Amino acid sequence: MSYVPDIHWGVMVIVLPLAGAVCCFLWPRRAVPLGLVTALGIVACVAGLGWQVVEQGAQRYAVGGWGAPLGIDLYADGLSLLMLMVAAVAGLGISVYSCGYFHRPDAKRDKAKHFWPLWMFLWAALNALFLSADIFNLYVTLELLGLAAVALVALAGGADALTGAMRYLLVSLLGSLFYLLGVALLYHGFGSVDITLLAERVEPSPVVWAAMGLMVTGLLLKTALFPLHFWLPSAHASAPAPVSALLSALVVKASFYILLRLWLEIFPFANAALAQLLGLLGAAAVLWGGFQALFQARLKMLIAYSTVAQLGYLFLAFPLANVIGWTGALYMLLSHAVAKTAMFMAAGNILYFGGHDRIVDLDRVVQRLPLTITAFALAGVSIMGLPPSGGFIAKWLLLEAAIRAAQWWWGGILILGGLLSAAWVFKVVGYAFTQSEVPHETRTVPASMEWTALVMAVVAILLGLFAPWPLALLEIGSPFGRENAG
Amino acid sequence: MSWDSALPLFVLASSLLPGLVIFFLPEERVAIRTTLNLAGAVLKLALVGVMIWGVFHGSHYETRLPLLPGLDLLLRADSLSMLFVVLSSVLWLVTTVYAVGYLEGSPNRSRFFGFFSLCVTATIGVALAGNLVTFLLFYELLTLATYPLIVHRGTDEARRAGRTYLIYTIAGGALLLIGTAWLYTLSGTLAFTARGFLSGLDESHNGVLVVIFVLLIAGLGVKAALIPLHGWLPQAMVAAAPVSALLHAVAVVKAGAFGIVRVVYDVYGLQFSASLGVTLPLAIVAAVTIIYGSMRALFQDDLKRRLAFSTVSQVAYIVLGITIVGPLAAVGGLVHLVHQGVMKITLFFCAGNLAETLGIHNVSEMNGVGRRMPWTMVAFTVAAFGMIGTPPLAGFVSKWYLGLGALDGGQGWVIFVLAGSSLLNAAYFLPILYAAWFKAPPDAWLAERSFGGRETAWALLAPPLVTAFLTLALGLLASAPFSPLQWARFITRLEYTP
Amino acid sequence: MNTVPSALLLILVPLLPLLLVFPALRSRFSRPCYIALLPALILLAVPQAVSIDLPWLLMGSGLGIDDGAGRLLLAMSVLLWAVAASLLHSVNGKPVDDRLTSCFLLTLAGNLGAILATDLVGFFTFSSLMGYGFYALLIAGGGAETRRAARVYLVCLIVADLALFEALLIAAATARDLDFEAVRQAMAQSASPGLYLSMVLAGFALKAGIWPLHFWLPLAFRSFPPAVALLLGAVPVAIALLGFVRWLPLGEVRLPALGLIIQAMGAAAMFYAILAAAKRAQPIRLPACAAIFASGLFTTFLGVGLGDPVAWNRHGNVAYFLIVFLGSGVAVLVIITGWRRARGHYPTMSGKPVDDSPPWFERWSGALTRWAAQVGGLSRLCAAWRAKVGGLRQIRAWQRALHGSERFLQRWAYAITLFLLLGIVVVFAGASSWI
Repeated sequence: MSYVPDIHWGVMVIVLPLAGAVCCFLWPRRAVPLGLVTALGIVACVAGLGWQVVEQGAQRYAVGGWGAPLGIDLYADGLSLLMLMVAAVAGLGISVYSCGYFHRPDAKRDKAKHFWPLWMFLWAALNALFLSADIFNLYVTLELLGLAAVALVALAGGADALTGAMRYLLVSLLGSLFYLLGVALLYHGFGSVDITLLAERVEPSPVVWAAMGLMVTGLLLKTALFPLHFWLPSAHASAPAPVSALLSALVVKASFYILLRLWLEIFPFANAALAQLLGLLGAAAVLWGGFQALFQARLKMLIAYSTVAQLGYLFLAFPLANVIGWTGALYMLLSHAVAKTAMFMAAGNILYFGGHDRIVDLDRVVQRLPLTITAFALAGVSIMGLPPSGGFIAKWLLLEAAIRAAQWWWGGILILGGLLSAAWVFKVVGYAFTQSEVPHETRTVPASMEWTALVMAVVAILLGLFAPWPLALLEIGSPFGRENAG
Repeated sequence: MSWDSALPLFVLASSLLPGLVIFFLPEERVAIRTTLNLAGAVLKLALVGVMIWGVFHGSHYETRLPLLPGLDLLLRADSLSMLFVVLSSVLWLVTTVYAVGYLEGSPNRSRFFGFFSLCVTATIGVALAGNLVTFLLFYELLTLATYPLIVHRGTDEARRAGRTYLIYTIAGGALLLIGTAWLYTLSGTLAFTARGFLSGLDESHNGVLVVIFVLLIAGLGVKAALIPLHGWLPQAMVAAAPVSALLHAVAVVKAGAFGIVRVVYDVYGLQFSASLGVTLPLAIVAAVTIIYGSMRALFQDDLKRRLAFSTVSQVAYIVLGITIVGPLAAVGGLVHLVHQGVMKITLFFCAGNLAETLGIHNVSEMNGVGRRMPWTMVAFTVAAFGMIGTPPLAGFVSKWYLGLGALDGGQGWVIFVLAGSSLLNAAYFLPILYAAWFKAPPDAWLAERSFGGRETAWALLAPPLVTAFLTLALGLLASAPFSPLQWARFITRLEYTP
Repeated sequence: MNTVPSALLLILVPLLPLLLVFPALRSRFSRPCYIALLPALILLAVPQAVSIDLPWLLMGSGLGIDDGAGRLLLAMSVLLWAVAASLLHSVNGKPVDDRLTSCFLLTLAGNLGAILATDLVGFFTFSSLMGYGFYALLIAGGGAETRRAARVYLVCLIVADLALFEALLIAAATARDLDFEAVRQAMAQSASPGLYLSMVLAGFALKAGIWPLHFWLPLAFRSFPPAVALLLGAVPVAIALLGFVRWLPLGEVRLPALGLIIQAMGAAAMFYAILAAAKRAQPIRLPACAAIFASGLFTTFLGVGLGDPVAWNRHGNVAYFLIVFLGSGVAVLVIITGWRRARGHYPTMSGKPVDDSPPWFERWSGALTRWAAQVGGLSRLCAAWRAKVGGLRQIRAWQRALHGSERFLQRWAYAITLFLLLGIVVVFAGASSWI
């Protein structure tokens, strides 16, 4: 029946990057081939898991043979699988890009030495997070993820990066702490940390309110929802380009994933006021991030603020509370991850090529990097939500959901946000067409960096043409099943 | 995938693939680039020829790719789309020849021709779109593909024009997106259907449907340059002449007008939109646009600006034609889609020739130009008279059917709009012709380039002559089989016979 | 004579001059103007009526010539064009300007085509071709004053074409078939032919320069080269008068009131012409007065025809004779005056400065342009400038506000406060929805 060997792909997905991290740490000189092989292996494992899930439905593994409520359970349904795939696609791209980025002729060796183990470790934490079936495991992986991310931000060196990293660390710890308090309250109240068991047992009570308040707030902080986004731009902008890409594309999405899981499984009783509040904050984030991005003077800051805006879109699904809305938000997550990766890579190329990322002086740079600016423009198309791109599909779904839920104003926010992002995308892309006579000292960008950015951008576009496949994956195990019924 | 379902894809690919290859060609590979361009254009024309033959004999060419659950990416060749496809592919071939001649020796040609091909691909996609979401997709793609063409020169003026263009079109696209999504939630389908798919909806939705109609038309009206959404068009004329020609005659402006035709005919249905009471306001907007555009054109000294305002006015004819409810006016509107394209592209080619050969950009510099460049000015004269609506040129035929349709539909006021517009057209075209033919030429031209004994390069001269000849032939042979007029009649028969 | 050659001949009558318009095509012939007339001449020699349907042309058109009056008209035209062509060639004794010949042939094609046309659209097409061609002929062949006249003529032409276009639409809406005969019958049965009639009357009156719409005619006669002036009667005026006969439902309708008005106008025109001729006493203006007089006579006749269909049916053919008479008479007068002027019988008007200022109808648009440039342009410029500066200031202000508030958000104290506040709000929001 199945052509894929029947092994625990889910476990492999976590073990493999861990092993890769250890290997990279032990043999730093071989870090590049090791890292690449691991990345390819992870992609293969995710594909294997995907095959398994598609063929056999949602999977549950009891690691070490201990079942719930005590042991560590891994659970893979369509939602987890989609997140794993996002991580795999973006991760592969980032790995390839890093080969060029950290091993340029003039790069410092020790950075590469630290980058590969940390990145593999982060990937492992991320995969584990997406597969966790209980809220305590989620906490652990979240914490590991945060620490790895902070270390990666600090990798850039320099005062900016260290300040950003420090702030990021504090925020990360604070957010995790709040989450942990919530977990403790729930465990105390219901005697389990398993999501399925909790979903059966949780009943409205002051303890649950408190737990939910703590957990949601902590996660919002880590997801950088407006007005708690204060740490994100500096952290994302000061990090090295591949790190910025993975932070924007993957790390912030992890906490959103947890929030989504909790919301759907443990707190499914439609609490309309809270949902409206989240939607409102999301809308504010879209507008705030969009305007801030428009007025930034530096390219990486601009992209970081655009991440703030894009994260806002994800929260628009909460007040809509229908399957189309959730699907749209997740598709937004997927396409944003890919597009933002491409965008940060392009920004990294520009920064490396010209030695700066001041937007007003971009004309001297971008004309000589046609592939990079193409990548930026294509990714921009997806971010703007113009067809044909993943961003368009996501926007279409969210818009449809908004109209179906008779809350069209969220649709208005979507459109406004799209216009704002169009404004800043074209502000940058326009420099590709100006005539600039000023000569500029430049360094050649490795071809692999340019092409990786372009390939990621093309994937973001293609997501708009092959939407039915990822959307079909989301149906598996019906993570939104209860919402559907409600 | 059978031949019938692959043909629309092939038609798209015949310009998309050459375009993508051209992007990666080094600047100095002129021969390969030109060959690719021309081969693509000729191949497309051949495929379109096969297609039109098939459509006429009842074949169905349809490509369906799933876009979202329940929503397909649908490319379909129906009679209306063929009208636009043929126009685009013929004029693409002509414009490619012209552009090759025009841009000879200028920088960034690979980029230019790449986007040029993308632009045509998007236009063909707009024409072949079988449902509103596919239409939207290519419509936005068109926006993106045209922007680099407008700012191609990279001057401050060009960038400003590009920015204005983007502000208008992206906002328009957003409106269109809202309208489309809203419509989808109401009806559950978006496939273009003859006589519309909305008339079966519950009557309580009528108010919402009017709002959606306004959204859609506003979104499309930006590209069709309906008043007051026309602001980008006169600015966009800073682009190179082949781009302006394409923009005004085929690609952008026409996509908007074509979209309005689609919405009125195949989404709402003419009868249903008339019963909603939305056609008359739209007709009035079109009429105001016609007069206003001509008035503004009267006061422009920059030749291309004058032509741009003339486009504003002329494209509204199409809208006017379809909103006067009646088969004859519909024929007039549809056939003007083709006729305006052919005439306006001639005018822009000629304006480009003047600028490129003699450095003339303003009407006031055109004294005696007819003696220096007689063939160019012959083409210009023919097209200008066509615009005025003098028989037996193409413009006369469209005006004829518009007027006849207005009488037929009991909307006599349209006649006066047409008459006023003709008068204004004459007022802003005839002085140009007078100056060009009968005034004494200056002692020296502004920036003359020598082309040996000829008045200008062949690649620059042949395209306007071909299109001027087409202008004449379309009018003179309007009643011949397979003329655009006959095709427009064929379409309206489908729309109006129950 | 079998049909194919005669049909070909019919098509060639307007087509050959049209082809010869292109200098490249006529460069082999020494006398292209005469060659262009050949098909018409041969056609005149064909004894019986010929006609041809061209269904694919325009809206379905046709060409044809009947036995009687049309043939006479064609003969007159051919004769006059031949004379004009000889004058064209012999004026200066040297080959004329290429452009002049082209315009000449263009006008010729329009003129002959209009005579042969068997339907409204064909007639309209050829007559406007002739009109614009004639305009170009005036401009190309004349001096400053002629140009002035030509501009007036052009405006009349455009307005007339618009009016006729409306009439054409009305006819098409009523009749469906645009044959002269079919239109005549349909308009006679139409419930409200008033608009059609008035449009036709106004349109052709403008084209023919019938009083009181005669602005351009006297101007035109004053200073034309004889080859052009000779054609004035035969080309624009005669064809316009022919238009009356062909387009109006004469002999089918009975409109005594309208007929009376038109008769009165014709009479007034004749009176005016006589008065003008007597008062000005400038023989050089004689042809113009004669033309106005003759067209007045024709108008009177037309009025009679409209009022009394029986009379028209009996004497209708007189109209053609009138046209022929007018065309050839004016031509003869022009030749005589031209000849006498050449002999020095009249003092030339050299002392009078030539007025080359644009005619009044062009001045208003210029004035309007200037006014718009002054008022509109200036105020628009001011407004744009102000808006730009204001907009800039606003953008700056927005930028500052945004930066300020972003810095505010990034301070730890505020960030933590916000965070805790949000937590409390979330708890309460969650709780409130459950309670």
